[in-house]
Amino acid sequence: MKNRDIYKRILLLIKPHLFSIILSLIFAATNVVATLYIPILTGRAVDFMIDKGQVDFVSIKKIIVLLLITLLVNGITNFLMTLINNRVTFSIVKDVRSRLLVKMHKVPVAYLDSMGHGDILSRVISDVERLSDGLLLGFSQLFTGVLTIIGTLIFMFVTNGIISLVVVVLTPLSLFAASFISKKTYGHFKAQAKLQGEMTGFINETVNALRLVKAFGAEESEEKAFNEISDRYAKTNLKAVFYSSTTNPVTRFVNGLVYASVGVFGALLGIKGKLTIGTLSCFLSYANQYTKPFNEISGVVTEFQNAVACAGRIFEFLDAKEALDTVTQSNESLAEKIKGNIEIKDLAFSYDKSKKLLYDISFKVSSGSHIAIVGPTGCGKTTFINLLMRFFEPDSGEIIFDGIKSNELSKKDLRSNIGMVLQETWLKSATVAENIAYGHSEATREEIIEAAKKAHAHSFIKRLENGYDTMLTQDGGNLSAGQKQLLCIARVMLNLPPILILDEATSSIDTLTEARITKAFETLMEGRTSFIVAHRLSTIKNADLILVMKDGNIIEQGTHEELLDNKGFYYSMINA
Amino acid sequence: MKKLFKYLKNYKKECVIAPSFKMLEALFELFVPLVMTKIIDEGIKALNTSVVIKNGIILFLLGFVGLTCSLIAQYFAARAAIGFANGVRKDLYKKILSFAHENTDKIGSSSLITRMTNDINSVQNGVNMVLRLALRSPFIVFGAMIMAFTINVKAAIIFTLVIPILFVIVSYITFTTIPRYKNIQKTLDKLTLHVRENLSGARVIRAFDASDEEEKEFNEDNDLFYRMNIVTSRISAVLNPATIIIVNLALVVVIYQGGNFVNNGILTNGQVIALINYMSQILIELVKLTNLFVTINKALASAGRISDTLSTEVALSDDGKLNAEEASDLGDTVLEFRDVSFAYPGAGDNCLENISFKLHKGETVGIIGATGSGKSSLSHLMMRFYDTGSGSVIYKGNDVKDYTLTSLRKAISIVPQKAQLFSGSVRDNLTLGCKDNPVSDERIWEALSLSEAREIIEKKGEGLDYMITEAGSNLSGGQKQRLTIARALCEDSSLLILDDSSSALDYATDARLRANLKSLKDRLSVIIIAQRVVSVKDADHILVLEDGRMAGFGTHDELLATCDVYKEIVASQSGKEAM
Repeated sequence: MKNRDIYKRILLLIKPHLFSIILSLIFAATNVVATLYIPILTGRAVDFMIDKGQVDFVSIKKIIVLLLITLLVNGITNFLMTLINNRVTFSIVKDVRSRLLVKMHKVPVAYLDSMGHGDILSRVISDVERLSDGLLLGFSQLFTGVLTIIGTLIFMFVTNGIISLVVVVLTPLSLFAASFISKKTYGHFKAQAKLQGEMTGFINETVNALRLVKAFGAEESEEKAFNEISDRYAKTNLKAVFYSSTTNPVTRFVNGLVYASVGVFGALLGIKGKLTIGTLSCFLSYANQYTKPFNEISGVVTEFQNAVACAGRIFEFLDAKEALDTVTQSNESLAEKIKGNIEIKDLAFSYDKSKKLLYDISFKVSSGSHIAIVGPTGCGKTTFINLLMRFFEPDSGEIIFDGIKSNELSKKDLRSNIGMVLQETWLKSATVAENIAYGHSEATREEIIEAAKKAHAHSFIKRLENGYDTMLTQDGGNLSAGQKQLLCIARVMLNLPPILILDEATSSIDTLTEARITKAFETLMEGRTSFIVAHRLSTIKNADLILVMKDGNIIEQGTHEELLDNKGFYYSMINA
Repeated sequence: MKKLFKYLKNYKKECVIAPSFKMLEALFELFVPLVMTKIIDEGIKALNTSVVIKNGIILFLLGFVGLTCSLIAQYFAARAAIGFANGVRKDLYKKILSFAHENTDKIGSSSLITRMTNDINSVQNGVNMVLRLALRSPFIVFGAMIMAFTINVKAAIIFTLVIPILFVIVSYITFTTIPRYKNIQKTLDKLTLHVRENLSGARVIRAFDASDEEEKEFNEDNDLFYRMNIVTSRISAVLNPATIIIVNLALVVVIYQGGNFVNNGILTNGQVIALINYMSQILIELVKLTNLFVTINKALASAGRISDTLSTEVALSDDGKLNAEEASDLGDTVLEFRDVSFAYPGAGDNCLENISFKLHKGETVGIIGATGSGKSSLSHLMMRFYDTGSGSVIYKGNDVKDYTLTSLRKAISIVPQKAQLFSGSVRDNLTLGCKDNPVSDERIWEALSLSEAREIIEKKGEGLDYMITEAGSNLSGGQKQRLTIARALCEDSSLLILDDSSSALDYATDARLRANLKSLKDRLSVIIIAQRVVSVKDADHILVLEDGRMAGFGTHDELLATCDVYKEIVASQSGKEAM
């Protein structure tokens, strides 16, 4: 996306808040004027106290009243401006996040997988935050900063031209200091970020392979390698931190320089009677704060660039092509016709058109039959399931359920007819009961318990601390792999569809649970068209149809006996 | 946090220099208004140009000396903070390396990584800020007050009123918002969790058509996050205007009183200007102090997490004294299980029960059984990743607990189930276990030949310098597996465990590999854990596992005659292998 387009889109985001922003800008402007007016008033007050017995109390009182009003205006505008800015920022954050989540449910699953979950997560969480921070804080600071500089210069020139010239002559110094430091720091920060990445990568790799490191007794050498990186990082880190921390002292020094020059030139003018002491005091106040807006503006520029980069990433996700949906309207009478007779005709799919991932898939099964899918890893089993569920759209070919073409059904109707228990279990951080009733929040407790009993999950759930109300931690971390799978079975059991997709576990599950899962699968499959990604010989033997897949193609299909007689790939696999 | 203080010990000098120079700088800053008073009162009013110039130079010098002091302070503060963080980071890393499987399972690897990176950064930042500001800001605030008193006691009384009021307001707002910010952070964690779950569960959510519900739940927390932020930011939005109004009200008082005092000849108007200046210095420093509170609070939370990790008890004791690499080779038995039972921590039931067998020198023992029968748990006990529940594992005549952990694991080579490689050269990967006594390239090539991987590496132009990318993504599964076998063979140990590690190899390669290993018979004993009968058929003994119990131990022919479980496995042609 071009930066110009990004700016346009950002403006569109802000548009609904246009009124608030204009209001905020008005408050900001008023606030700047009030802030700059205070030193003028105090300066005038000082001018009314010339010496012993020469104090004009009437004028001072008038100034004090003015001062109080200015003060009030200053405080109120500052408060209101912050309130409005916060409201705008946080509601943009809220809206964008909400839109991103909705989008997540609309893009093809393959897109989510190809993007990487960490990347999407950082778009939704950190990028949104940086966008709002950079944009709105940036806008308001830039605005007040520029306004303060202009205002200061105007006020100064109106009060005294010569001394203002002194300040203007010194201005490049502030600019130079600010840009010098930020340039110098930027280089070191870049080096630091690179090393930080290297270090995080190293930590990531060893922490994930900790068992391996220990198995080889390589702790010491790993430690040595890490210490070397850590030291290198510390060195660069020191430079980056030190250079960036020079900003404040240098700014203070430049301020001091301006302050001293204003003091000296002001005093010299004062001696000549061309400047009052009060005006000098006012100039000194300005000088004290003069470099601050320069620093802020140079900070804003970097933040703004950052925000634009983040906005680009956010818009890129929001613009992603959504999953194809030809039929959006649910049609219950059509959905109810599905009984589990399935015909697949010449199905083909690939991510990358030059590499065939799945092709020439054709077979026909009748309602209630059990189909075992076997084949080495990477043969296309998972892709086939993704196509059946329409997580992926086929490049060509058809899937027909009881005479209805898959793409004539809404995805909702299609999926409500297929139950799925995958080996990679997914559970929410919610209670056990909520997990079983997932997608069917209307289910009663009795129905939930009934489903759990059928799934052979009831006995272990009962023994959990709070039974069905036990909160599961993230990814069901407090359950064993087998228990998680039992819960996923119960989830399908609650509302049994006519078609099932089951994935037999290969991971280490204790035998008792494994036996339970097998039994639960049997209950599930009774009278239903079931696709089983099978690893157990008994399952395969009992299947009505075995699909032997290799390199994205069904190379053999038939019953166990037929395939053995065939003496092909299946035969060699079984007799390995 | 206390636990972490010791890491500052090496930086005592820095910890003294940084705040001291910061105070010096502050001191010079406090003189500025006084000098300005002199310029006004003795320069302008007495029409004395030389006083003006002289004091102008003093102002410049004050600024310059202040800059120097400040730069020195910043440098030493950064040094102390970074040195401190570097120390913590190294120790934390060392601690993580010492963790037993049980520890890492519990804490979780992503959390360990956050502690190593984000938490340490935030503590470093905290230390840095404290060294820079903790003394400076209060010093300026109170210094400005004292300086005001030196000008005129009566006129300065307003300062003693303003400072406590401001301090109360600033700390009240800071401390009421801190717990709120913590809650906001928690809600953000919840939002993150929602997003993660929606990503990992994309398929299930669609399968159950639950996007609407997920969106509803997300939006509830999203709304909550919004409202919490609005309320909290409303409180902190009071801070700035309140400070500005109070300080400026005090200014009004200074002006009003100042007028009286000047009229009575107690004060000069130059002195009134000085008082005004001190007031504005206080304002600036108080704002900085508020930010410091926030930084310190964040740092303390991170410090808590780090010291928790540092004080986590390692779940496996390492009290053994013997060096397993130098263990006597005289005995006939390399490894023995004596009536071993074992349950994973936290699991109720034993996953291994009453296992006893011996592995003699030069022999091969095959271990076979269904998924979940406890095969890999056996290898975990051999490597002492966990301790046995009862019974003992004996390596070369001594209990594995009597050896130091590192020497034991170096003495035994393992090829784990999961073929993991690191980013780095082939050479670096293969010599993972022998970094202290360098391995010659010849030995590496020999190991590559034995593992049938020589050809793979020879084909890559760079040979042993070929760079493997992260997680070995530029190699196929079978190639990776052969390299992990070569890695184990580089270790020159007398016991090799192959934990189901030929699954990605074709049968011919697998057979050649086993033949190669057999040729090392005079120095190498081997344990082969496998799912395929063919992988263990020729072993000297085969251990058959069922539900964590020994269902048989003997040669292929013996087991065929006596062991029903083995017969069943053979009959089913080893049931559920790589399909």
